[in-house]
Parts: sequence; C-alpha cells; structure tokens
Amino acid sequence: MASPGSLRRSQRRFAFSVMTPIMIYLMIFSLLPMIWAVILGFFDYSPARVGGTIFGLGESNPFVGIRNYLDMFNDSQPATVFRKSVSNTFLFTFLILPLNLAITLPLAIIIERSHARVKGFFRAVYFLPTVTSAVAVALIWGAIYNPQAGLLNSMIRTIGMTPPKAWLSDPQAFVMGIPLAMIALIVAHLWQDFGYNLVIFIAALQGIPQNLRDAAMVDGANEQQMFWYVTLPLLQPTLLFVCVMTILSSLQMFILAQVMTAGGPREQTTTMLMSIYSNAFRYQNMGWAAAMSMVLFGIIMLFTILQFRFLRSDWEY
Amino acid sequence: MTTQSQTNFSHLIGAVLRYTVLGIGLSVTLLPFVYVILSSLKTPSEIIQIPPTFFPKVPTWQNFTTIFNDPKVPLGLFFFNSSFVAMARVGVTLFTSSLAGYIFARYEFGGKGVMFAVIMAQIMIPFQMIMIPLYLILVKLQLIDTLWGLIIPAMIDAFGIFMMRQFIEGIPRELIDAGRIDGASEFQIYRSLILPQLSAPLATLGIFTFMATWNDYLWPLIVITTHERRTLPLLLTWYSSSHGSRPSLTMAASVIVLLPIILIYILFQRQIVANAATSGFK
Repeated sequence: MASPGSLRRSQRRFAFSVMTPIMIYLMIFSLLPMIWAVILGFFDYSPARVGGTIFGLGESNPFVGIRNYLDMFNDSQPATVFRKSVSNTFLFTFLILPLNLAITLPLAIIIERSHARVKGFFRAVYFLPTVTSAVAVALIWGAIYNPQAGLLNSMIRTIGMTPPKAWLSDPQAFVMGIPLAMIALIVAHLWQDFGYNLVIFIAALQGIPQNLRDAAMVDGANEQQMFWYVTLPLLQPTLLFVCVMTILSSLQMFILAQVMTAGGPREQTTTMLMSIYSNAFRYQNMGWAAAMSMVLFGIIMLFTILQFRFLRSDWEY
Repeated sequence: MTTQSQTNFSHLIGAVLRYTVLGIGLSVTLLPFVYVILSSLKTPSEIIQIPPTFFPKVPTWQNFTTIFNDPKVPLGLFFFNSSFVAMARVGVTLFTSSLAGYIFARYEFGGKGVMFAVIMAQIMIPFQMIMIPLYLILVKLQLIDTLWGLIIPAMIDAFGIFMMRQFIEGIPRELIDAGRIDGASEFQIYRSLILPQLSAPLATLGIFTFMATWNDYLWPLIVITTHERRTLPLLLTWYSSSHGSRPSLTMAASVIVLLPIILIYILFQRQIVANAATSGFK
C-alpha cells in the first residue's frame, strides 16, 4: 500500500484533473458569455457589420455607453414594443400566479385526502401536461381556439352562447381590460404548467405531521380552521418557493406565445424574451437585445434574491 | 342516531364533491390529448367542416401516411436528430455530474469551496441572459447549424452535480477505503465502486435531462438553420406553418412528436412525479 502522503497526492491530482477541464469549460461557456452580455449592452453591435478585433466590438460596432438603456424610454418603435413587452410580461406573470395557486392548492388538498391508490392516479394524470412538448401544446391549443372549427367555440355554441370572433387574433377583444389573446394564452399555460406546483404541494402536505392535525382536532377545530391555522402556516415555505418558481418561469414565457400568436395581435402578447429573441436573431440588433436581456436578468435576479432571503426559514416540526 | 347519519351524510356529500372536482380536473387535463388524437384521425375535409365534429366519422390513418410518405419530411432523420442530441446530452450530463459530484463529496483540495460556488451559481443564471454571446461563441467555433451546437454548451449541469454530491455523501467511506487498499486507482474507484451505487439518481437525472432536451425549442431555433438538421419541435412549427391549410396534418404531426415522451412518462411515471417535487425540474 502506498504511503499516506503519496496517496493524498494522487487523490489531489485526480481531483484537479477532473475539476480543471470543468472550470475551463465554465469559463468559456458561462463566465465569458456573462461578461460579454454585459459588455454588448454598451455597444451598438450587429454581427452583420465588420467590427474591431476583440469580439467584433468597435469600428462599425461603436461603444455607445448607456444609450441602449436610455433608448428604452424614447418614442422609437423598438422601444415602444420593448416597453409593451415588459408590461405584457408582468401582466402574464401576475395573472398566472394567483390563478395557478387557486387551482393547485385546493386540488392538492383534495388529492392528499383521497385514497392512496386514487391519489397516485390523479397525480400522475395531472402531471402529464408538464412533460409534453410546449410546441405540441401550443399547436393543440391553437386548434382548440380556432374560431371556425375549434373545439372551444363548438362547445360554446352547443350550450347556446355566442363565442368571440377570434380568440387569438382580435386586437379589439378585451375582458376587463386584458387582451383576449393573452387570456387564451394564460389558460393554455396554466393547463400545461399546473401539475408541477400541484405535485410540490402534495409532497409538502404529506410532510405535515398527523399529530399536529390531531391536536387541532382535539381542540375542536373544524375543516376551515384547520386549513387557515394549521395547514397554511406550515405550508408557508413551500408556498413561497412555489410563488417564486412560478414567477421566474412566467417571466421567461416564450414558446406558447411565439407559436400561438407570434406576439400578436398588435404586440398584445409579445413577451420580453420574444422581444429579445427577435431583436437579436431576426433584426441582428444584438447590442440593443443584450441591454434588454440585462433588464430581464435584473428582474429575475430580484425575485431570486427574494427567494434566498425568505427561504432560509426557521420552520421546524 | 340522527347525528350519526348526519355526519355520514355530510361525509358522503364531501366525497361526492371531492370526486366531482377531481373528475372535472381529469377531463380538462385529458381533453386536449383526446382532441389531438381524434383530430389526427379525421379527413382533411372533416377537420375544417362547420359545424365541427368531435369524433371522426370514419377514422383514417391517411394523415399519418401522408406525413410518412412526404419526401420533405424524412421522419427517421428528424427522430435521429432529436434522439442524438438528447442521448448525447444525457450521456455527458450523467458522466460529468457523477464525476464532479463524487469529487465534491469525497475529496479535499484547495479552492474546493470556490469551485463549488462557481458551479452552483450556474443555477441562478437565466439562459436568456447568455444566449446572445453563446451564439457568437458558437459562430467562432463553427458550431452554428450543427447538432453539436445543441450539445456542447450544455455539458455541465449544476443541478445534476448538486444532486449527485448529495447522494454520494450517503455512500459509506469504507467502500472507498476498501478500494484503495485493493490498489484501485481513483478513477477505478469512481468507475467500479461509486458509479454502480448511483443507478437510481442517475436514472432520475437522465429522464429529466432527456425530456428537457427533447422538448427544447428556443436554443435549437437559434442554432439550427438547415431543414435537415431540425429537431422535432422545430420540425413541428415548420410543418404547421407550411401546412396551415391542412390542420389534420399538423394534429397528426403533433401526435407523432408527443408519443415518445408520453410513452416514457407512462414507463417512468412514478420516478418522474416523485422526483419533480424535490428536484428543480422545470
């Protein structure tokens, strides 16, 4: 057997021989793009133009300071679309969050109380949409919303009501000030996404010790009191986690809107990520797009930090 | 006596209500799946007829045969593209995650804490922030419009490393010491003593990586430009926009793309659902 010293040396050599390539890899594919993204935001950069020697920056891709950020507030068409996409993204997020919770939390409580065999079955079926391709989901819901031959309108007609002219393309259609196309997207998004939070809630509910419920029961608590004074406080860390995860994923909404409405009608469903994507890769305006992506990054970071601050909870049971 | 039957009655009402809600949820969840399958079996004229039908009058495979025989849609090739990228990413992710997880769990060396923090920071970086420079890097590496361009930027999975480290910390150290006494090299210990213990978490990580890659859309949309190199989600959007007037074909194409993932889900449903709550899968 080798001496302890040489053994330790060979271990260290092994650790470094594994970690060195990983660190180099992360420098190229993670650290470099991060720094580059920050820098790009300060340049008027397009890969279509010939630039300087370092990353194609400079010369015909000039440094513009914070002009990209200032331009976000002017009246030009790209800036207007961008601001529209920011407000759309927030509207999406803060409509999706309460609706998602209103569906998943009660449903989780109902499932958790069901018979074990039934529980597994419902959980499995409800989770199915989350694993399916979002592109396929978008196409299926697009067909459901089809004004002439779609499933939804034929159902509405069957019960004797008049369906809207078009779910996804009528710029004049609003419900309580919210574009109809956005509502249609939110419904499709909720359908695809709710299983995820549902499963998390069920797991959290199962983690609540029975003796706490028994104690409340002995004290004469009814079902409602049990929910508000026992279940909900104990679910608080989970609830916070679910809220943040739902916010983060809604802020990055892309596929459904891209495929179902392409951001229309009249940019009513353009999200931030769609705006970044089309400016960067369709219009080749990457400096401007990078600046926009920094704004989205800032918003995402804010919610991530919130989560880390509050998730260090002291719940102990 | 009356109170007894009253509580029984309210229990019954409760149960009926519960199962009604669950049943409604079930039909809302399954209806789009049923709808796409039934629509894919309709003739091109039936699917646009007004008033629309729900069940196909005469179920037909003709949409599927049209797609299978379309020379512009060599399905085998697109399945290969998607499978190749998914398999490669699964293979690489499992290897790097288990190896790095093992190092972080069982080795002491200078800078370990910093390296671990650097890797974990990856979880917090949203992909949309780095996608523009990443594209420019792939241009420089001449990986744009190749399947490798979908694999190479995704070789390190911070969450996978974290997950493996947690698991490996539960494996007794005596096992590793025994390997050292037998004169095994460090890599041999990883290969023949650690790796076999990891089948459960590796399977979970593998399934999630596979599904995420299979359904990935934004990055392939940026990287792939040639028709023959499209992955299935890209094929699907291209197909639906080029066959807009024939929705029955789009529905059939959607079924073709959905089926493999639904099959995988049915096979591994337990594992997927149980781990979705604890892993950061999304």
